[in-house]
Amino acid sequence: MKYNFVDNKNRKLMTGAEVCVQAAFDAEAKMMYGYPITPATEVFTGWIKRGGAYLQTEDEIAAGFAICGAILAGQKAFSATSGPGHILMQDAMSMAEGMRLPFVLIVGQRGGPSSGTVIYSQQEVILSCFGGNGEGLRLVYSPSSLKELYQLTRQAFNDAWQYRFPAIVLTDGYMLKTRGVVSLEELKIENIPPHQLVPEDKVTHWQNIYTFEDDLYYEINSAKEDFHKIADEIAKAEKYLTADAEILLVAHGIVGAVAKEAVQELRKVGIKAGMFRPITLRPFPKKELDKVCGWESVKKVVVIESALGQLARIVRDQLAPEIDVSFEYLQKPGLGIEVEEIVKFVNK
Amino acid sequence: MTYKILLSGDGGQGIQLVSDMLAQAAFANGFNISQIPNYGLEQRGGVSLSFLVISDQEIAYPRFTKPDILLIMSEQARIRTEKNKNGNLILDVQDYNKKLEENNIFVKSYNIFFLGRLTKILEEKGVLKKEDVFNLLEKKLSTKMNWEENKKTWELAIRN
Repeated sequence: MKYNFVDNKNRKLMTGAEVCVQAAFDAEAKMMYGYPITPATEVFTGWIKRGGAYLQTEDEIAAGFAICGAILAGQKAFSATSGPGHILMQDAMSMAEGMRLPFVLIVGQRGGPSSGTVIYSQQEVILSCFGGNGEGLRLVYSPSSLKELYQLTRQAFNDAWQYRFPAIVLTDGYMLKTRGVVSLEELKIENIPPHQLVPEDKVTHWQNIYTFEDDLYYEINSAKEDFHKIADEIAKAEKYLTADAEILLVAHGIVGAVAKEAVQELRKVGIKAGMFRPITLRPFPKKELDKVCGWESVKKVVVIESALGQLARIVRDQLAPEIDVSFEYLQKPGLGIEVEEIVKFVNK
Repeated sequence: MTYKILLSGDGGQGIQLVSDMLAQAAFANGFNISQIPNYGLEQRGGVSLSFLVISDQEIAYPRFTKPDILLIMSEQARIRTEKNKNGNLILDVQDYNKKLEENNIFVKSYNIFFLGRLTKILEEKGVLKKEDVFNLLEKKLSTKMNWEENKKTWELAIRN
């Protein structure tokens, strides 16, 4: 047997949680507020073990508002949570959206509704993108590998502090708990430094509640415009063999990585498959999706996810209405999806 | 080339240790690995699983239902992995009971026996080196109780 051996220089065995912790340290985050919940606990304990400053609050609501407070004082603070904890965290996340606070949250999706399973799902997509009483003006990144998890966690801190929107790194139990091989040495990423949002030397009145409807309306519109201005720069997708694709697989996160392998398998049996993987779910890479789906060659879009249509809802919403393409769905709420299943589904 | 290995047993039998040693040795030999335990609510007294993938390619996804090699170390594990049996290589403790008893192998050392067996299989495929696995094992267990027993078990498993 002949193998492609890899040089182990700069390669490390790390879990997803360890990758997140490394990224948070490298991003020069200074404080973590949180409450342990599987499968995100090891981000918290890993941070603590490595000497990161932290506070374990009584619940995720308190952790979330503590982050808002720390950020107002100019501190790079963050948290990691999952499932029911994520629901509670959305209270403060909504405030961060309203006040334009660079709130960074790592989410490890577990099964739902409610306590569901402690294991895995892709069921926190809508919650991440549109949780809270607001308009979904936040940044949501969905990594598909440990390396991308590192890159996007760094980017989440940078974009949040540069553009002043809350940011979620949307991962899942499998990704956080998996130990794999990563090389982070060659990734050189500059940090956007934090800055104090409230001056110390004078009294500032900074609202998060408005007396008149028009005031709130003005604020939301101004945030919306800012969000649209940066959307093209931040929105990203991975496209794989889309140029002549007749069947386009759309998947995000770890399922995106599986879909990519499925494309390779389908090509081997003569099926012209391609893959579109949104790397950001908010803002969504709408222009790229329109472009790919608008090609004549594309006959069918298959949206694949470990949820009952959360990604599908976003994809259909974002796709330009004049693009006429048929949809099919492979949906396994709370369950992993393997390459063979996708191949079988497409090649039926 | 990709090997998918599913290790199963009762919690406390040392399944994760077996997985950890194999993963580290394969990694040291220049392979990509991915490794994920089951981490449900049943950890105490329940079934312990480890999904281990060793490959010279990028590994996209850590889970699988059809392993190339399946280790079964208990009755509960046998039932739990029923759906994972599919013409693969199966190492089942019930097929080794006689050998283990004849050689007076401690029940607590059974995982070391199967670590040795798996090491032998994977070394023949060029995936890892048995010296690496033994060194990792020695580092981990030589100062703990029953090291002599574990060493004897390892030697038996590797020898034949």
